[in-house]
Amino acid sequence: MSKPRTKRWVMVVDPRKCIDCKACDVACKRENKIDAKGRRDTYRNWITSNGVEGVYPNLKQRFEPSQCQHCDNPPCVKVCPTSASYQTPEGLVMIDYKRCIVCASCILACPYDARYKSSQTKVIDKCTFCIHRIAEDKLPACVDTCPTKVRVFGDLNDPNSEVSRLLARHHYYVLKPEAGTKPSLFYLS
Amino acid sequence: MNTIAIQAKMINRRGDLIWALTAGVFCLVGLIGLGNYLIQGHDAYNVYRQVPWGILISTYVFFAVCCTGLCLVSALGHVFGVEAFARVGKRAIAMAIIALVSGFVVIGLEIGQPLRLVYNLLSPNLTAPIWWMGTLYGIYLVVLLTEFTLMIRGQHRYVGYASLAGFIGGVAANSNLGSVFGFLDARVWWHGPFLPISIIITAAISGCAILILLFAHRYSREKMPADIRRAMTISAQIFALLLGVLIFFQFWMVMTTIYGQVPGKRDAMMILLKGPLALSYWGFEIILGMLLPFALLLLSRGKSLSLAVAAAVSTLIGLFFMRYNTVVAGQLVPMREEVDAVGANGLLSYTPSLTEIAIVIGGFGICLALYFAANRYFNLDEQGH
Repeated sequence: MSKPRTKRWVMVVDPRKCIDCKACDVACKRENKIDAKGRRDTYRNWITSNGVEGVYPNLKQRFEPSQCQHCDNPPCVKVCPTSASYQTPEGLVMIDYKRCIVCASCILACPYDARYKSSQTKVIDKCTFCIHRIAEDKLPACVDTCPTKVRVFGDLNDPNSEVSRLLARHHYYVLKPEAGTKPSLFYLS
Repeated sequence: MNTIAIQAKMINRRGDLIWALTAGVFCLVGLIGLGNYLIQGHDAYNVYRQVPWGILISTYVFFAVCCTGLCLVSALGHVFGVEAFARVGKRAIAMAIIALVSGFVVIGLEIGQPLRLVYNLLSPNLTAPIWWMGTLYGIYLVVLLTEFTLMIRGQHRYVGYASLAGFIGGVAANSNLGSVFGFLDARVWWHGPFLPISIIITAAISGCAILILLFAHRYSREKMPADIRRAMTISAQIFALLLGVLIFFQFWMVMTTIYGQVPGKRDAMMILLKGPLALSYWGFEIILGMLLPFALLLLSRGKSLSLAVAAAVSTLIGLFFMRYNTVVAGQLVPMREEVDAVGANGLLSYTPSLTEIAIVIGGFGICLALYFAANRYFNLDEQGH
């Protein structure tokens, strides 16, 4: 029997609060020293517009921030031939860069478009939930920087954590539930 | 030496020179591509975040499938006891090895960190289809080399066992290659049992086609022995039958896909039917790859070698494009909204870069050069046993 997890890191996202300022993208790149080298496809997180809703003059625009979903059933880990992609005991999906052969099958296995070949590090890269900051009891950079507190990060196994309380109080959804990946990003609806 | 013999030798030399020059030019083009890759890395390729697999992957698949096909056809003689095929095995296995090596060279330049393949052994992931495919093709290469060595040494007692191992290994490696695509749930166009199953049919087709070309070339300036001629006729007939099966598979694959409205799957099919890959699909994959060779083979009932050669060339071109279409169409439907790279038609796009094309040409150059060398330094003509 596998050992029960002491912690399960998840992120709760309230898309209604997102103003598409992209501070999360900037903070992520700065924190993780990502040099896009002018490439438009180099990013760990992104914001999608869900389009304009309503009828003039009552219009509103909704945005949906996204990134690696740190799935509980990650297809990227299953397809990695060298075990470079793996799951930590806390459920984070990580990459051991020195083992990555850059076959790119993980990119194709991910239903969320969360991975990319980094022209900086020459391996596959993606969001790590800022694991180095978690180790120092800090929040991921994107969470810390968000001016409207769109993202809340915490331990779902702690019933008193903010993420547990938010999910207990609100309706929520996950992206592509039909993929069976059990994501760790929950969107308040 | 009489005049005719001298003339024949000169023609042979001229023929050899043309082959060597073609192979050399192709290899040179490949080296230029390699040089640019070494300078620019993956930036020299037109693959990107949303379309990470391009023409180098499809070319590797083409070579690997050809390798398996040759092994399957060779097994007709050594495993299944079809007498007419007893003398075609050595040349077929030599070409199978060459095709696999060429494929490995091409994919070696696609994988970003090929030296780290050592982790395939140090930290294997048994749930990964690429691990199985890579490992099985690696073992398979060793089996083929063993089989070829036994054939060269004339140890026919053991060739049958090696050929059986090659047959099983070829089927296993090839269907696992199909599963690399078929296991990807996220890519509905590839997902499912169709590719792991149909890839075996296409392997056998390419095996028959290459076998016909190899022996047509071998006996282009001398009379083909009766048993080899018979093997060619049977190959052409199997070739025609399998093309019929492939057309049947293709018809139902298209029908079931466009009948349903599965998001992503139907879109990918429409890319082939009337989208950016329509010419590549209809012109090359369907007409050149299936319908034209099927008609040519039916017309001659497999008995005309020249028509069989035309059908073989046509099919191999078509199969090359089939791999390309399969690999690329599976990625052009975006996985999420608002991807920067999406064009006005709502689809992603991919056109191979000159570096990628040069490496593909180089792969064919290596294939030609190695076959030329094998033909020169080994006796690929097998005696009946």
